[in-house]
Amino acid sequence: MSNTQSTGVASKRAYVAAIAIILFFWQVAAWFLPDFLMPDVPVALQRLWEELNSGDFYEGLGNSMSRLGIGYGAALFFGIVLGLVGGTLDMVRSTLKAAIIILQSIPSIAWVPLFLILMGFGNMPIIVVVAIGAFFPTALSVMNATESVEKVHISAARVMGASKMQMLRRVYFPAVTPELITGAQLAFGNAWRALISAEMIVGFSAGLGKSLAYSGEIADMTGVMTNILVIAILAAVIDQVILERIKHRLLRYQYL
Amino acid sequence: MELQFSEVTKSFGDLNVIRQFDTTIRNGEIVALVGPSGCGKSTLLHMLAGLQQPSSGGLTADGASVAMPSPERTLVFQEHALYPWMTLLDNVALALEFQDKPRKTSLAEARKWLSRVRLVGFEDYYPHQVSGGMRQRCALARAFIARPKVLLLDEPFGALDALTRMTLQSVLKDLIEEERPTVVLVTHDVDEALYLADRVMVFSQRPATVLREVELGHIPKTHDLSAFADVRREVLNLLGIDTDEHIPTDSQGETA
Repeated sequence: MSNTQSTGVASKRAYVAAIAIILFFWQVAAWFLPDFLMPDVPVALQRLWEELNSGDFYEGLGNSMSRLGIGYGAALFFGIVLGLVGGTLDMVRSTLKAAIIILQSIPSIAWVPLFLILMGFGNMPIIVVVAIGAFFPTALSVMNATESVEKVHISAARVMGASKMQMLRRVYFPAVTPELITGAQLAFGNAWRALISAEMIVGFSAGLGKSLAYSGEIADMTGVMTNILVIAILAAVIDQVILERIKHRLLRYQYL
Repeated sequence: MELQFSEVTKSFGDLNVIRQFDTTIRNGEIVALVGPSGCGKSTLLHMLAGLQQPSSGGLTADGASVAMPSPERTLVFQEHALYPWMTLLDNVALALEFQDKPRKTSLAEARKWLSRVRLVGFEDYYPHQVSGGMRQRCALARAFIARPKVLLLDEPFGALDALTRMTLQSVLKDLIEEERPTVVLVTHDVDEALYLADRVMVFSQRPATVLREVELGHIPKTHDLSAFADVRREVLNLLGIDTDEHIPTDSQGETA
């Protein structure tokens, strides 16, 4: 326990140092470049504060978060199901895995034109692209973990008379959870990148990506940097705070 | 439950592990299978559990062919068969939950069984938090809670130190006396076989053939096995262990 706590403090310190260094380099760039190309850090922070007090910002934030939530949630669900099923079916496993590896190498943003035409201008193409980005790492990590579930854990469940469903729920699922969480964190990174870039391209209703693209179009560099700041802070908070918390909760037994 | 092997043969590819094996294990009998590593005795046990099928020949339990695992014939593994993501209590209760018993009664039964193996106070510990001996106590509780007609033990105490092993052997002996299942024990430990079993079968190297069968009968025994010194010596000799005492003379001692 004391061990995990001390590493927690160390990683917090590392984050603070990293943020300071990043802001420092930004500020140095701002000193050398004219204001209309690179705003000072305090100016951007000032703008961020104004944004936080405006309604428009929250509309965009809400839109982006619901697209992320639906896309990422669906990807997790289908990724877990396909991973578990694929991992237990010896016949299809290697083919399925090869298919995932091939599809995974396509940047999710490359699907935008296809789904934009297929589904029309709206939320749907963005959500689907987010889901595609998150689905593959989830499915792959679950499938790999399912394959390597300890034989004795399966045999023990069989001699205790477990049904297929009980086996999946009580043995396979908890056994793959550690790798699933690693996969889900990787998937979150993909989903986040897909979300912002898809919003920038599609530009349907308000959203973090659209707001960034719009600031660029009107050459409002303070707006650009403020949006980038928001995107970075949100990703760090979701990954490091929310997902880490869930991880500690689900893997509680490992931290005792 | 009467277990019968008739002309059972088992091969893995070209590897012939068991050839034309015949034996009958009577209802309530305690049989120990002793032999060198890799001689196929574990395979016999796994076939009894229904985890593996004979390549040819028949295997029956009370006249019915053994085709798949059943909680009637439960198996205790050497180690690591407890689920690391569950507390000891949940691990034991799981055996009943897999038989669709309600969770509440399963937990109550599990508490009772943990106290029978002297694990009161450790219900909420996870397997990695307790010693190897305690894990195997828990494994015994998990096996007995389902009231199996046949108890199969695959080197259950093989990974424990000598003293812990003897304590666990006593715990197991008491449980067997109280519950009276038919028992098949696979072990490397000749003393364990003599202490626990009514009948000891000594196996040769692969393909497994019975070199010798010793009927001890169902008699009360203690860890003092001096009354079985002759049998013990004979079994050890069959397993290739020299029991003639070599007392080095002075000159040999000096050169060595």
